Amino acid sequence: MMQNLEKCARHLLVSEKSNLRNIKSRHRKHVESHHYNYQVSILIPECGLMPPGVTAVCRTLGDYYLVKQLQLHEMLEPEFINKFVRKGFLYVLSYNTRIDQDNCIALLPTGKLILSIDKDTYEELGLEGQPSMYSHRTAVRYNVTVHLRDATFVPGDKRYNRVMWALKEKKPLTFDFLMTWHPSDGEEASLKSYFMDYECKLYQPKLSTRILNNIDCPVLLSKELKGKDDESCSSQEFLEWLGAVSSDIDCNNQADNFLSTYCCPWPSTVLDKACLCTVSGFIIPEGINLIMDQLRLYFEEPKLAQWVSMTVHGFADSPVSWGESEHGYHKGGENLYNFVLFRNQDYWLHMAVGTHSGCPP
Amino acid sequence: MALFADLNIVNTPDTDRKRLQSLIENAAHLGYSTVAINHVAEFQGKKQEIAKPISVTELYPSPPIVQGKSKPIKILTRLTVIVSDAAHCNDLRITSPHTRSYDIVAVLPKTEKLFHVACMTLDIDLICINVIEKQPYHFRRPSVNGAIERGIYFELAYSPAIKDSTMRRYTISNALSLMQICKGKNIIMSSAAERPLELRGPYDIANLGLLFGLTEGDAKAALSTNCRAALLHGETRKTALGVIYTVKKVSATEEKDEGTPLSKRAKTKSD
Repeated sequence: MMQNLEKCARHLLVSEKSNLRNIKSRHRKHVESHHYNYQVSILIPECGLMPPGVTAVCRTLGDYYLVKQLQLHEMLEPEFINKFVRKGFLYVLSYNTRIDQDNCIALLPTGKLILSIDKDTYEELGLEGQPSMYSHRTAVRYNVTVHLRDATFVPGDKRYNRVMWALKEKKPLTFDFLMTWHPSDGEEASLKSYFMDYECKLYQPKLSTRILNNIDCPVLLSKELKGKDDESCSSQEFLEWLGAVSSDIDCNNQADNFLSTYCCPWPSTVLDKACLCTVSGFIIPEGINLIMDQLRLYFEEPKLAQWVSMTVHGFADSPVSWGESEHGYHKGGENLYNFVLFRNQDYWLHMAVGTHSGCPP
Repeated sequence: MALFADLNIVNTPDTDRKRLQSLIENAAHLGYSTVAINHVAEFQGKKQEIAKPISVTELYPSPPIVQGKSKPIKILTRLTVIVSDAAHCNDLRITSPHTRSYDIVAVLPKTEKLFHVACMTLDIDLICINVIEKQPYHFRRPSVNGAIERGIYFELAYSPAIKDSTMRRYTISNALSLMQICKGKNIIMSSAAERPLELRGPYDIANLGLLFGLTEGDAKAALSTNCRAALLHGETRKTALGVIYTVKKVSATEEKDEGTPLSKRAKTKSD
């Protein structure tokens, strides 16, 4: 019985290294397949001022909307589908809903509407779905997927009518939604003007910058993912250090009553300055790709820094994490990835998930 | 997992309204979506008084919003009867109209015989496990299995363990001896808090469940799924086992009675 106490909950970390110039490198795909991003933090060592290019991109990451008390069937209206879902990438996530307690809704840019709903709602809706992978003993949570972009998903179609009837008359569901739309061609249409009848607010991602002085920093070698004794640190040690830096924990330990046993991984150097920039909001993968391009440009000119790092945190309560793999919340719903870009265009990629999540690609 | 619920917020006669309100506000802040206000009835000295439950609408015109969500907290009422004599069970049966006004009915059996009766025949939703003194008898497999079969849940309260180290010992040892028999099935963990500071967040309590010998999944279910099942069990006890009638009042025209799908889950075995 006691071994239960010593066991740690399941968690996964996938690390890989590759080169940005490699044709088969999938860094862009990885970013694109992580649909819902809450926070991007960028760390640039030996840098007192954020590069203007990066700041400019961070400032124009795209606005997002919070639509309050929206009926779910509004998203199935043919006008909405034709105007937004088919003509661009629409990201929708229900706001203030807990994935382990309430109904959660997500609309992927591929036009898939994913409803992660509890047993009561599932039985009342009468739509076909699968029991959640992470239910305990008996299934109390179900996932329903509706393909909105299907050519046959139009009024008059049997399936469409069924879904519409279920969401309109059988069980009307209302949510607050976070929405953002990225048009694929130059066509202009605004979510705000479409949702005139609802309370619709515009938000912008929040940007905050911090300059760190005199911090210990591990030495990294781009070829050594696992680290070499007395020459470089492993990628896991680096990730742990990065977390300490971004939460403002220093590792100058003093032997007193409040002893902290955390210290910087060995070998380390002292950084004179480092720039930590955090953007939080409802950020779309297209924006993150733009940031990444700017960070690549950073090494066009000779710089003091050996590497720059970018960490992206996903929403803890989104129904999906990577691609369409189901995501749950056990005691923490973390899903994040981290890029370490080196001067020679090598990069390390870490992808991590908590207990109730599929393995990242 | 279902919504988090704390099915035991103690309401003693000397608890004033303000303290109860601050308790419920604290529970909402911690993330509980449902709380039950507990009335304890003790038959010592024949002071039999199963009063009307506290009026929830009177207590709160508008309940506080649960943290991180946009919904208000749901407040229920619950009755706990401390049974130390077989005669008290009769009272429980006779007082059926009284118990009907409560959402959940629980008993705390004091002897092994009464425990068996509570598991097998009494029309209740929860059986409390005594956590403030040494368990005077052993849990027997037939009675516990019978209770599980009938959809009755066992309740463990954690706030005595916060207050006192001796009680902590009894809480853990009684919980472990129950776990050996029931294998982590049909367990509910609740607070039994009298003061706001005795409440803990649901994820913390799921961790405490590990100490009681539950697995990770069981411990979380003890706060969510099992509570939901116990509430549904209470609902069927209050109304009827097979059918639930609800009357919708839409202006003066009377809508037809609606059999909600809840009725299908009347016997909470499968939940």
